[in-house]
Amino acid sequence: MNEFIVTVNNKKKLVKILEENKVDIDGKVIQTSLQKISNNLISFLFGNKVYEIAINKNENEKTRFLIDGWYIDSVARTKIEETAFELQRNIEKQKHHSEIKAPMPGLILKIKKKVGEKVEIGEPVLILEAMKMENEIHSPATGIVKTINFKEGDSVEKNSIIMVIE
Amino acid sequence: MIKRILIANRGEIAHRIIKACRELNITSIAIYSEADKNALHVRRADEAYLIGNSPANESYLNKEKIIELAKKVNADAIHPGYGFLSENSEFIEMVENSGINFIGPSSKSVKLMGGKTDARDLMMKNNVPIVPGTTEPIYTIEEGKKIAKEIGYPIMLKAVAGGGGKGMRKIYNDDEFETAFQLASSESKKAFGNSSVYIEKYIENPKHIEVQILADKHGNYIHLFERECSVQRRHQKVIEEAPSISIDESIRERITQTSIQAAKACNYFNAGTIEFLLDKNKNFYFLEMNTRLQVEHPVTEMITGFDIVKEQIKIAEGNKLSIKQDDLKINGHAIECRVYAEDIDNNFSPSIGKITLHRLTSGPGIRIDRGIDISSDVPIYYDPMLAKVIAWGRTREESIERMKRALSEYQICGVTTNMPVFKWILNQDEFLDGSFDINFLEQKLMPLIPNKWRENLPEELENVITVVTALLKNEKKYFNSSSNSKEVKNKWRDLLYE
Repeated sequence: MNEFIVTVNNKKKLVKILEENKVDIDGKVIQTSLQKISNNLISFLFGNKVYEIAINKNENEKTRFLIDGWYIDSVARTKIEETAFELQRNIEKQKHHSEIKAPMPGLILKIKKKVGEKVEIGEPVLILEAMKMENEIHSPATGIVKTINFKEGDSVEKNSIIMVIE
Repeated sequence: MIKRILIANRGEIAHRIIKACRELNITSIAIYSEADKNALHVRRADEAYLIGNSPANESYLNKEKIIELAKKVNADAIHPGYGFLSENSEFIEMVENSGINFIGPSSKSVKLMGGKTDARDLMMKNNVPIVPGTTEPIYTIEEGKKIAKEIGYPIMLKAVAGGGGKGMRKIYNDDEFETAFQLASSESKKAFGNSSVYIEKYIENPKHIEVQILADKHGNYIHLFERECSVQRRHQKVIEEAPSISIDESIRERITQTSIQAAKACNYFNAGTIEFLLDKNKNFYFLEMNTRLQVEHPVTEMITGFDIVKEQIKIAEGNKLSIKQDDLKINGHAIECRVYAEDIDNNFSPSIGKITLHRLTSGPGIRIDRGIDISSDVPIYYDPMLAKVIAWGRTREESIERMKRALSEYQICGVTTNMPVFKWILNQDEFLDGSFDINFLEQKLMPLIPNKWRENLPEELENVITVVTALLKNEKKYFNSSSNSKEVKNKWRDLLYE
């Protein structure tokens, strides 16, 4: 029997995979049957209802599903992986480090803060131009701007670290 | 007779024009950039030619290359779609001079209505009510402050060469004026090549109502009723519908007649749209004229049963309008939702990638105008609109129910889309009872981003996904550990996802 801790919309649930076609989710046992229709499409029997689920994107360990017009992001980890993840998260918190990464490739139009300046969580800190639109990037944390790795006019790739906040 | 049309555009509108060509037995010629090699419009057209590198100004905006290609492949006509060069009077003039038929108005009309202050001035002289403000650019801060005082704050500072919701700034009082004026002028210069600005009174919580007109080259004008486009985000339309539930028959009569007056005033021919703001007292004011086919034309086609794009081609050929005003009636109600490659909870940031799954929706009253297909790319160089879902019903309620159904059936994977947000919008009282105005989304939806807007996600669905995720992970683990074994009996072994 395999056990996984699944995180969906910030809720964690324990799923135990019992014999074939049976799972235990947070104590409830349900009959299931999973059929692959194509690479991205699944037909899934859950209890007595059949759902059609599409796999929208896979990024790192996270999967974005499309079900009945809703996007739902989820991650499944073994108990060991989950413990490691929590540990890593706490270390990050200890470091008091927050990185502002580019959410998509683009051009840095404007940097609103300077090194050493105070910044609040949610405050707009830079403007990235992509797909003909201006996108405002907000600070994920409250603190002081430690480093700025690019300047106005630079092109960045997705996930480039633009700014670090401490 | 037009036999070969070069479509100077891409995406869903290029696909739409190809359909009209097909129905008229006209050869459709597509152009594409490097990034659009696998695009749907390229596959669907009768002929397709690479026009240049991915950036728009090296491809879809390159006037010279497009006309050169049109001549080379013996195109009789060019359809510009919307956006790109469709309202570029310089391009239109170049087409006119090259002897190729331009499917749209004359460059003169476009130039006249493209300069916003000239357009306002012309409208005023032709008894078309305009938003109170200046009909000339303002050149000094003193002049501006004086006019602002006369009109009364708050005011809107707008770019003369702007349009489509860009280059605007709201000013509340004298203190803000100087900075706003300087910023607006420099932004305008950067975006439109012209720093001139003018002033309009700020209308509180208006609705956006527009009228579709068609005119031939023989002086005949008709209107195809109105559309309401008040559901907007940052001045970009998100949902459009026809007819508008905000106006009654008498306003409809006046606003459509006024639109025809406006079109006549600039000697217009072909398809065009006059945009108005409707204030709380049901007064309407001319905002601007869009001298091209519009994104939201399908809702008008659905309620009238009339094909606007085919008519555009016939008008360009020199034919008289194929229909009379009396032949046109409003039948039922249509709504259009624009599907964008945007991640709502990530501040609506654009999502790029390759489409890995594309399952259209259908059924009674549903129409999809789309530019994507399986394996097509959503590149970073252009507008992120992927498709338009249009729902028609005998009543507005029916069209809304159909739209909800269609959106839950339409599956697009590979990029994140804004489709889930319509679940929220289509359930709001303001949308259902018609009290929404152009500030509705900014005021009611934006505070709920991220995540709070989808709080009514059914728990059952969360549980389903929770279990599926565990099962897929389990299979991956199982497969990885037994990858050396040649005998894997478990039927789930095929469930590896890329």
